[in-house]
Amino acid sequence: MLVLALRSVRQRPGRFLATLLSAFLGAAIVMAFNSLHDTAGAPGVDAVSSETLRTAAGVVGGYGTLLVFFAVASTLTVNVRQRAAELELLRCSGATPGQIRRMVVSEALAVALVGTAAAVLPAVLGGRLLVELFQDTGQVAASVDHSFGAVALSSGVGVTLVASAGAALLALRRVTRGRRRTVRRRSWLAWAALAAGAVAASSTFAFSATDEMLMAFPAQGAILLSVGFALLAPRLLSGVLGRLALGGASGWLAVRNLRRRAGELSGILMALILFTAVSTATLTMQAVESDEVAASGMVKSVDAKTLETLNYTVVGIIVAFVCVMLVNSLYAATTYRGREFGQQRLAGATPGQVLGVVGVEGLVLTVVGLLFGTLAALAGIVPFTVVRGDAVLPEQLAGVWAAVATVGAAATVGTSLFTARRVLRIPAVRAVGASA
Amino acid sequence: MVRNRARHDPRTEPAAEALRLVKVTKSYGTAESTVTALDGVTLGLARGTFTAVMGPSGSGKSTLLQCAAGLERPDAGIVRVDGTELTGAGETELTRFRRGRVGFVFQQYNLLETLTVAQNTVLPLKLAGRRVDRRRATEILTAVGLGDRLGHLPDQLSGGQRQRVAIARALVAEPRVIFADEPTGALDTRSARDVLALLREAVRVHGRTVVMVTHDPVAASWADSVLFLADGRLAGRMDAPTADAVAERLAHLGDDAPVGV
Ligand SMILES: Nc1ncnc2c1ncn2[C@@H]1O[C@H](COP(=O)(O)OP(=O)(O)OP(=O)(O)O)[C@@H](O)[C@H]1O
Ligand SMILES: [Mg+2]
Repeated sequence: MLVLALRSVRQRPGRFLATLLSAFLGAAIVMAFNSLHDTAGAPGVDAVSSETLRTAAGVVGGYGTLLVFFAVASTLTVNVRQRAAELELLRCSGATPGQIRRMVVSEALAVALVGTAAAVLPAVLGGRLLVELFQDTGQVAASVDHSFGAVALSSGVGVTLVASAGAALLALRRVTRGRRRTVRRRSWLAWAALAAGAVAASSTFAFSATDEMLMAFPAQGAILLSVGFALLAPRLLSGVLGRLALGGASGWLAVRNLRRRAGELSGILMALILFTAVSTATLTMQAVESDEVAASGMVKSVDAKTLETLNYTVVGIIVAFVCVMLVNSLYAATTYRGREFGQQRLAGATPGQVLGVVGVEGLVLTVVGLLFGTLAALAGIVPFTVVRGDAVLPEQLAGVWAAVATVGAAATVGTSLFTARRVLRIPAVRAVGASA
Repeated sequence: MVRNRARHDPRTEPAAEALRLVKVTKSYGTAESTVTALDGVTLGLARGTFTAVMGPSGSGKSTLLQCAAGLERPDAGIVRVDGTELTGAGETELTRFRRGRVGFVFQQYNLLETLTVAQNTVLPLKLAGRRVDRRRATEILTAVGLGDRLGHLPDQLSGGQRQRVAIARALVAEPRVIFADEPTGALDTRSARDVLALLREAVRVHGRTVVMVTHDPVAASWADSVLFLADGRLAGRMDAPTADAVAERLAHLGDDAPVGV
């Protein structure tokens, strides 16, 4: 099975590219931040510097682990789903479920190892950059030297491998097992997340404008709400699509495709909702906070600075990951549709009409994702600005939202159209025959 | 460019010759390993005829149909459908041309998984921006024995049922020329007969031209004439075929052009 796994990776390296990229990015981030632990642990580092370094490593390291898991899980699910037929064939030719599991997990581990190995050098450079960043803002003493050691390496390898193996098992279960149980558990989780988010967002009102912790609650609230919405994504999408009627052959086909594929597409919608909510909420609140501090003429404390740096870093990482997930899921999903596009063309669709279908689908996804993401973000932003300033909606919101929406729309619609164009280069009869 | 005397308007008078191929050649593969699927095929089919194409597996039947329908581009030669030359047109142009003139029933079923039987059937009309006559679609689906399955999805149908949806889809657009690649390949004798009757009705009653690839001498005997293909070349023609004569001829064909099965 291991031989089979390695051969399948070698023969179709393209299919593992996204998983590799997720593992690589994940390992790089985890190692870069965990190298701050190594740096803080080195002899002769003062207490304040050590504290800052460890906080940063702890916060982002935790987020990073989660993100690696989600990103690898998402890319692997796409990968396993694409190969459902191949795996079924293996099963029919006598492979036991255990053998198939071992094969898929071995593949995931092999890819994770390669990704981690490639991530070491970028992680060393990234860690050095982080230390310099903290030194520039005076949060870490200039005498501190970056060091990359055991903690960074072991956590990088450990987190990536464990996440990949776990994600592979999860992906296999998702693809091979029925959905019923998970759906129920998922909606239970979704409501819990929404409730917790609502509580967190409203507890903002219990704080005063100058509290250090003020931003934490609305931010967590927005994130939890967006997780809730994301978990409900398949249902939200079906709900919207049930009411949607678009004109033209392309619109007609797009709505029907989306309805039937709501389950598959929910991964993409999830990524969009999380991306919109987290980046809009965090960036807007941070901008409000910075402007308020600047207006009051106070000098920022080291803690406030650390918080700001962390906020931006976390958002940066989340955005990068979600973009990778989004682009990969869409790329894979669209590539996989070559046969379907071929069928549309053979039924009399011009390439332009096929692109129209894909474009409308992307647009609908974007609008739904932005809608619920923005809703979650607003649930955090409004309490925060009411307490911190006097307005209900901060003026910084418009700019941030426009930027976020542009990136989200460009990633979704752009990836779909770009991939579809490539797929359409294959003649229709062959596209249809190839996977038959 | 699609050079045509008849323009793209399907309401113009049909040409007397439905299909003309002149020295059509098509090979697949790379420089090192090429397979010549069609080797200088020249043929002409009059309007309102029912023609069967037969030959061993791999002899180029599907390729012939695909080149004739403008779905594959020949390496050399001329293809003229309903008086319009297809050679050298872009995909969009070819698609627009095909919509009004050409129907195709494929060896694989090629139904869209996300659409129901009824939706799949009217899809070509929708895509062409033509008026969708649901009553007519239901009529044709009933004729192929699927009147009670309009709301089903393709994966809820058997292989033969899917094949029949594909045939209904090709008929609904009322094309001048219908290409069918083993339309009865997955059907039992009775459904096969129904399908063949439909195709023959399209020819006799509606004056359409049907070209059908088949391996079955009985199916071929429904046609007005049979073209035999071996190794990418035309290897004979039989008018007013009977099942026995066709089977006989096929066996003989196997002698000249052995296939490595
Ligand atoms: N897309 C392709 N790429 C490479 N070779 C091809 C392709 N399509 C067909 N061929 C080759 O061209 C030859 C003719 O194929 P074709 O499909 O036309 O045969 P056929 O007569 O329809 O056979 P069958 O009765 O099995 O359907 C075969 O040798 C086949 O291997
Ligand atoms: Mg064939």
